[in-house]
Amino acid sequence: MSIAETRPTGGGTTGGNSAGELPHRPRHTGVVPAGPNNGQEAPTTAGNNRRRRHHAEGLEAGKRSTRTLLWILLAAAMVLYAFPFLYLLFTSFKTPIDTIAVPPTILPREWTLENYTNALGRSGVLASFINSAQTAIISTLLSLVLAVPAAYGITRYKTPSGRVFIMAALVTRMVPPVAIGIPLASMMATAGLADTPIALSIAHTTISLPLSIWLMSSFFEAVPQDLEEAATVDGCSRLGALWRVVIPVVSGGIAVTAIFAFLASWNEFLFALLMTAIRSQTTPVVIANFQTQFGLDWGSMTALAAVYSIPVILLTLLLQRKIVAGMTLGAVKG
Amino acid sequence: MSSRIKISRLAAVGGLSIAVLLASTACGAGGPATSGSAASSINVLVEAGGHAELAGVAEQCKKDTGLDVNFVELPYDGLFNRLSSEFSSGTVSFDVAALDSVWLPSFKDAVQPIDEMFTDEAKKDIFPALVKEAEVDGHFIGMPAWTNAEIILYRKDLFEDTKNKSDFQAKYGYALAAPTTWKQYQDISEFFTKDGMYGTDVKGAVETEWLAHVLQAGSAAVLDENNNVIIDNAAHKEALDFYVSMTKSAPPGAAQVDWAAAQNLFNQGKTAMTRFWAHAYRQIPKDAPVAGKVGTAAMISGSAGVAGVPGPWYLSVPKATKNTDNAKKFVKCAYEHNSMGIESSLGLASRISAFEKYQDQAGYESFKPLIQTLNGNATATRPATEKWQQIVDTVLVPMLQKAVAGGDSATLLADAKKQIQALLK
Repeated sequence: MSIAETRPTGGGTTGGNSAGELPHRPRHTGVVPAGPNNGQEAPTTAGNNRRRRHHAEGLEAGKRSTRTLLWILLAAAMVLYAFPFLYLLFTSFKTPIDTIAVPPTILPREWTLENYTNALGRSGVLASFINSAQTAIISTLLSLVLAVPAAYGITRYKTPSGRVFIMAALVTRMVPPVAIGIPLASMMATAGLADTPIALSIAHTTISLPLSIWLMSSFFEAVPQDLEEAATVDGCSRLGALWRVVIPVVSGGIAVTAIFAFLASWNEFLFALLMTAIRSQTTPVVIANFQTQFGLDWGSMTALAAVYSIPVILLTLLLQRKIVAGMTLGAVKG
Repeated sequence: MSSRIKISRLAAVGGLSIAVLLASTACGAGGPATSGSAASSINVLVEAGGHAELAGVAEQCKKDTGLDVNFVELPYDGLFNRLSSEFSSGTVSFDVAALDSVWLPSFKDAVQPIDEMFTDEAKKDIFPALVKEAEVDGHFIGMPAWTNAEIILYRKDLFEDTKNKSDFQAKYGYALAAPTTWKQYQDISEFFTKDGMYGTDVKGAVETEWLAHVLQAGSAAVLDENNNVIIDNAAHKEALDFYVSMTKSAPPGAAQVDWAAAQNLFNQGKTAMTRFWAHAYRQIPKDAPVAGKVGTAAMISGSAGVAGVPGPWYLSVPKATKNTDNAKKFVKCAYEHNSMGIESSLGLASRISAFEKYQDQAGYESFKPLIQTLNGNATATRPATEKWQQIVDTVLVPMLQKAVAGGDSATLLADAKKQIQALLK
């Protein structure tokens, strides 16, 4: 059924629209138009028109108020979600005494960039950014390389062991991170990988992999098997069909999964705390270091946190279209 | 090929190249050092605040001995986990660790004795309570790097105000001055609690201050020398009742007030006095309403005399390091140049001579009261049990929070005794 067919024909009998055309609504002049059949039928037609017009205007008004309400709700939700980040951002521009004001203030009384120079000038900050990027990229690649074939196998072959595997993959998410963090740190040290981004990336992959497999499974489920069969008929191997046909279709889903895996690693703190030292310390640990036994440097901490969030915001904006496409991919099954 | 496809491909190739580059150089950007790898370098694990304290010493050490010092900074809350993890694995990424005093009993088996550094001369120059704490099971296992204690900080400008002086004299019958007894402290707190201001704070979310009152009342804190739980004795009750009595001259919500909150309240000019760690005096922000208006006094004496609970950090050498000689060289260096910590942003040391060197200089007015408090005859460190942190977190702080919220002190102390006994079993 087309959109035109489902639309109410607001013009009614006097509108004279042909099927398939958008309905025409006559301008309301307040005067019944004169015509050749302006005899007995005229009052009835005018009355119908008026009733329809009122009905249409009522619907429009209803739509408008619903839309306004939705906008208000959306704005409230935006404020609610954005407030913590905005507060962090404003705090990063406050003077030291302003950051600890009692009662707290939202906007700085005096704007300063000193916190940024302090935070970025601190030794090890640049290195920690590079380490965070290295770790997050390696962890994301590892997650995708492992999750895509795993999810594909599970959804396409639908074996009992696959079902057990996908449930078992969640086990690492059910255990408190510290319970696996300490043994992992010991294992990495034994393997000679102590204090390296690779060790931390592997640890981060244990967090992001289960989620990646689940996400990718739902995306693969949404791809009709007919597509692959058609590709196979055209001479593609199973892997060829996966690479040439399925992967492009789920590229939005892969982007979503990559974003989640990247974020999980980029923001992770506990494993980084347990497994990194001089060479591979990541920025979340450096940010936490602004809280010491002697006090908390709110200004520098929030400045570094604000700078650290920029790459993630940019990445999300750049991949926005893919993310939206990916999010709706799993929702519509062919 | 459209330009869009070109850009996509370029981006993909570029991204892949960066990824490969990053992966191939995945040895970390922070530096090449690993524990014990280089003959003339060591790694020192410190709490983030401790780095500033030791940075100057490290530079001096490099000049004197050619030893390169790399600092591994971690936040306080994560440091204990990290130490536990590495000590239990038997492989450590550091050669020297700065340990909070309460952790010494927990890690006594993982660190090396450094008895040779505790000469008679050294012991004379370290506060008695710290010498006692550094010795665990007959061996000295940590060299104090810096220490702290609570002193009294008060608003000099308010105390010197003529109207305040005359009003106070008229109301209480004696002159307004820095308090030397707890009765005076109570009176002054009550006097300044007006017009949106409070006389002092009560910290319900930390236990150290209450422990100092217990020591002043003449008892060991929580455990006696044989590790018997004595938290329900008369001194503990007296200390708790006094502590709670101050809430009427303190900002509301005492149960949630911790060190940071109390420091903020004082720096913002909301409280006239605070019992606080001495380092805070030098950390008052220059743009704070109270900057330049703060006076200092030693911790007040109770029936047992002046008492505070020191907050020292010790440098220890793990048994698992392969770089023992250099590690000990650094610990010795840190002791010899201990006064350099005073020049840091935190301005603390551990040797008596280091504090005395600065005590008469402008800007270091907190040192005399600090020395007096640390030398106080009732001053004592926290009980040496590896369960101490657990006792603090699960028993003492919750008990204090209930007490300042109006709970019955005798009942709360009796309950606390049972809980601590269960923890120590």
